[in-house]
Amino acid sequence: MNNLLSAPARPEASVPEPARRRSRTEVVVTVIVVLAVLAAIVAGLSTHRFATIANAKAIITSASLVGIAALGLTLITIGGSAVSLAISPSVAAVGMIFLSAQSLGLVPALVLALACGILITGLQGAVVGYAAANPVLLTIATSFAIAGLATGISGGETVSPTGTGYDRLNATPGGVALSVYALVVLALILEWTLRRTAFGRTLYLIGENRRAAWAAGLPVGRTTAVAWFAAGALFAVTAAFTAAFNTSANVNLGGTLTFDAIAAVLAGGTPISGGRGSALRTLAGAVLIAAVSDILLLRGYSTGVQIMVKGLIVLLVVILVHLRAKGRNA
Amino acid sequence: MISAHVTHLKLAGAAAAVALLATGCGGGSSGGGTSAPSGGAGGIQGKTIDFVGYGKDNPWGAYFNGVFVKKLEAEGAKIRDLTTMDPGTAVSNFNQAIANRPDLIVAALLDTSSMVVPIKKAKQANIPVLVFDGRPDPSTDGDVMQVLSDSEALGTAAAQNLVEGMKAQGKTSGNIIAITGTKSGFASQDRMKGFEAELAKTPAYKVVDVQDGNWDPTLSGRIATQLFAKYGCAGIQGAYGMADYQALPIIAAAKQAGCEVAGKAGVIVTGSNCFKAGIDAIKAGTLYGTATEDPGTIAEQTADYVIRYFGGQKPPAKELVKEERVTKENLAQFAEQCSKA
Repeated sequence: MNNLLSAPARPEASVPEPARRRSRTEVVVTVIVVLAVLAAIVAGLSTHRFATIANAKAIITSASLVGIAALGLTLITIGGSAVSLAISPSVAAVGMIFLSAQSLGLVPALVLALACGILITGLQGAVVGYAAANPVLLTIATSFAIAGLATGISGGETVSPTGTGYDRLNATPGGVALSVYALVVLALILEWTLRRTAFGRTLYLIGENRRAAWAAGLPVGRTTAVAWFAAGALFAVTAAFTAAFNTSANVNLGGTLTFDAIAAVLAGGTPISGGRGSALRTLAGAVLIAAVSDILLLRGYSTGVQIMVKGLIVLLVVILVHLRAKGRNA
Repeated sequence: MISAHVTHLKLAGAAAAVALLATGCGGGSSGGGTSAPSGGAGGIQGKTIDFVGYGKDNPWGAYFNGVFVKKLEAEGAKIRDLTTMDPGTAVSNFNQAIANRPDLIVAALLDTSSMVVPIKKAKQANIPVLVFDGRPDPSTDGDVMQVLSDSEALGTAAAQNLVEGMKAQGKTSGNIIAITGTKSGFASQDRMKGFEAELAKTPAYKVVDVQDGNWDPTLSGRIATQLFAKYGCAGIQGAYGMADYQALPIIAAAKQAGCEVAGKAGVIVTGSNCFKAGIDAIKAGTLYGTATEDPGTIAEQTADYVIRYFGGQKPPAKELVKEERVTKENLAQFAEQCSKA
């Protein structure tokens, strides 16, 4: 078991990079990636006001809320559970709880939010992990259940904060939003956890081949559940920051967060099939999408165009990841 | 196999014939002109109303529904709840309402275009339709009764708030950003029409950027963050978030960008339909003002309209709800009214 867990069972880890013969497809994919990055850099630098410190802060701030949720989703995706389609309602419900608990103080409200986030998403993970439920179908059903429950309990009303402690989450130490620090720190912790712990290595193995992981006696159910628990905690952090930023919360608080987080994970190159990917890649994906949206906004394109380009980026990355994997297997 | 197909075709043909007969029996037109057709003088007692309103998962809709349904049920009407926030489901629910053949359909139009055909079908079936909040597609304007929010007045109020706020700071000119509701919707278009017309009276205060916030607070905050980076604190003197829940993230974005909000020289921010969180922000001095369009007032007026209609009073075919500008000066008057959602 220890030997099995000593290295992630990822193709790039199992075969030393210099020794591998690069297929023609891989070369083409690399060239496309380099050209795309160059095009993005040129587009950015030629856009008025793009290359400024204020704009860099705006990009990373815009990326932070989606980014933290996407980190949680990365755990789910790497573990082979594809995606959770219940992120938005979970964030909305936890955000409402967070604001309504402000009378207790910021820290107790945060603890309560984390507990609820872990509970809501962790329970789904336990069902996926131990009962091998289809995560997509399960989270579709759960999203309706959470939204219905939140609507029923709140009577559909918007929750206003019952205290002022939440505003400390809107602080800008050093001129940078607190959510940005949270994103960077959480991404580094998660990256370390994925690469340096037995949990991380097991998660990669389960994502790569669940049946083989079972056969090898790995704790598939427990590892999957823990990944979802951790994802729930990250969704709760997103909920607290989002609710604090919006100063109110209702069942629509999550907005398009589910698909934004999926886009960030995929744009970072984490394949939907699991077994590969990293927290830092997801961070890069979130920043990439925020940067491209920013370029389009600075150039005067409408929100509709921004959404369309986000879709095209995700599509392009998914195709490239697929081609790259195919090239490796060839 | 072929005979099965023929049987299916015959069944389909028979069903279509029944449907045509059913709609054809409805006959003539209803509505149009300056007053609504009478719903009869028998009163509202026992009348059935199919309510295709906003879903309860929308805070505005939740409060509207509570007031509207309670008032009409107290008068003896039977309300069938077909509310939803999904435009596609709303079309299905509207069609279901037609099949139910109620005495009246009361509807909110989540998507005006997709509701054109259902409204025409209701007219063919001689089922009266009352639309509330947002106006219908112009092609069906004469086919429905209407109790509408005065969206242009809401836009006008927002412009007045911004100009008044900036003038009070001693600014004789200023750049304004606007983050709207869904841009393709009439509510957003009409509010911007009123907003721009009012600002045209004081051309020194000009709109430099309009972005589609899609009635989404999180998206609005993200856009505001980018706009404050684009123009800098010195480049934005006023900001318009079309709803209070869009204006509040603008305030948060401004603060995170290091821009002063309100006060002697900070950016002036306004909403244009009030929510409790907006009222709290006005009290705190961060939001300069807003306007009404609170769900309680329009729910009361819509319910009154229905009662007058069934009472044979022939109310006007179209009624606008009076909207009020709200600032710190008259906050006490509207705080209660605006704290329902």
